[in-house]
Amino acid sequence: MSRLTIAIPSKGRLKEQTEAWLASIGHPLRQIGGERGYSAEIDGLDAEVRLLSAREIAQGLIEGSLHFGVTGEDLLHDLAPDGPEDFRVLQRLGFGGADVVVAVPQAWFDVDSMADLEAAGAAFRKSHGRRLRVATKYLRLTRRYFAQKSVGEYRLVESAGATEAAPSTGSADVIVDITTTGATLKANGLKVLRDGVILQSEAAFTQSVRASFTGEARAVADTLVGAF
Amino acid sequence: MNHDALVAVARAVFEAAGGTPIDPDYVLPADIPLELSGEAVRARLCVFTDNRGAEMAMRPDLTLPVAQREAARLEAGPSAKTYTYAARAFRLPAAPDDPFEFTQVGLERFGYAAVPSADAELFALVHRAVEACGVSPKSIVTGDLAIFPAFIDALDLPSVTTDLLKRAFRQEGGVRAVLDAASRPLDTDVLAALDAPDAEVALGAVLTARVVPLVGARSLAEIIGGLRARRAAIEAGGLPDAARAALLALREVDCPLTDAPATLSALAKTYGLTGADAALGAFASRVEKILALVPGARRTAEFRAGFGRRFTYYDGFVFEVLAEGLAPTQPVAAGGRYDGLIAGLSGARVSATGIGGVVRPDRMVRVRRTGA
Repeated sequence: MSRLTIAIPSKGRLKEQTEAWLASIGHPLRQIGGERGYSAEIDGLDAEVRLLSAREIAQGLIEGSLHFGVTGEDLLHDLAPDGPEDFRVLQRLGFGGADVVVAVPQAWFDVDSMADLEAAGAAFRKSHGRRLRVATKYLRLTRRYFAQKSVGEYRLVESAGATEAAPSTGSADVIVDITTTGATLKANGLKVLRDGVILQSEAAFTQSVRASFTGEARAVADTLVGAF
Repeated sequence: MNHDALVAVARAVFEAAGGTPIDPDYVLPADIPLELSGEAVRARLCVFTDNRGAEMAMRPDLTLPVAQREAARLEAGPSAKTYTYAARAFRLPAAPDDPFEFTQVGLERFGYAAVPSADAELFALVHRAVEACGVSPKSIVTGDLAIFPAFIDALDLPSVTTDLLKRAFRQEGGVRAVLDAASRPLDTDVLAALDAPDAEVALGAVLTARVVPLVGARSLAEIIGGLRARRAAIEAGGLPDAARAALLALREVDCPLTDAPATLSALAKTYGLTGADAALGAFASRVEKILALVPGARRTAEFRAGFGRRFTYYDGFVFEVLAEGLAPTQPVAAGGRYDGLIAGLSGARVSATGIGGVVRPDRMVRVRRTGA
């Protein structure tokens, strides 16, 4: 991997906004093979450009198979086995913003904070003989935050999609999910805990700390970082 | 001695103590460790999914599957039994030089009287197994998970505060957040519902008025229970300064085991906690018996009040034996008491005291190799 490798989100608004950002710093993206192609070039940069899903980009940056990439901080924080030291955010990009939050049913008038959730979890386990279920796709982020907040009385349920519906369908009681306006949570009868914002995430231009930078890759990286 | 020779030596020590050899199931429903210990253990658990989608786990230690078998055996009626094993356990590595699988050689006793001499004898046996393997302990860390709860009970606080403090002690963070959160005020319409003749009907009406659906598995009665606990915590007015000072002082205790009984008694006396006398008496008796059986512990053993609070199913005496050349997170032997484990595994259908300990031949090989 002597050539610099940069990954860009392959679809959706995140891709459009990343393209606009690259153009704004004077390095516009040119996709090869039209809109559906999965490779591209960045103007003025001798680099291999890959179009990948945001999750693959976060994983690649953490593993070191990519040098740079644009992806969501939520995914970086969740996929990093050792936390924030596993990647280096060079620039937060001001788009793709969303909060990763802990939400419980609004009807739980006795639960406003993580500490209340701990108490409710302990009582729940006593009366039901099982632990409260927490549905999420952010497994590591949830585990780390719950431990930090001293909440141990729960079980994780991995959610593939529509996490916010888990309490009403009965597959979980609490969720950890991403939200921008809170409208979806509200529509599903849920509320965010007072200290339930785990992370305020944005799209971020990120450098891998595990990828090796040869002299050649280093020079290209400096050109790009110098353009910010 | 190589690894297998160490296994044989340690096993002989435990078999001589009357343990019946056992090699229980390798694979457990993941529910067993996860429901018992919570998500905190998942980071170390080797989990996979069976063909129906159920989560299964490789046994993370031998205590769990042995206790599971013992719980099943006890359904036929109570009787005491001792087991020994030399068997593989599986954990996701926490450090780069941790193995995925390793052999534990150990002993478990179920259903015997939970007395100080039983703790001391088990400790002495594990210590003897380590020495028989040619390893001399560099240091021994001990704790007692019954001391903190005994101090909390002796503080004479409202039960809602007592329960909170006991749970907070076993969690990673501190007790302050837990106590502060409980004393935040509640909404007036919600509070009014609690005093209605039928609180469930009244709280149901609050939900309707606020257009809030009742989703999830918690019932109105459980929410009311939580609200009443919150109200009781508000009325109790948090943790008095003297109680807070007593618990902070206890948490700081870290001394040679020989000094621990006097240190703890002095603490209890300073804060007037006569209610902890029984627990402290048992503690002092255990220390005396340990030092009589293992004189070397006078030099090597220490006591830390907070030690073992994250060991999920342990609830009394706990210890770890450390050796030269290995990290503090890599004890060559460990053990302790778990009197609540059988009840926890059987949904309280049966119960029995439990105590056990293991040695790690794979780590002892490394100690011997470094020449210590």
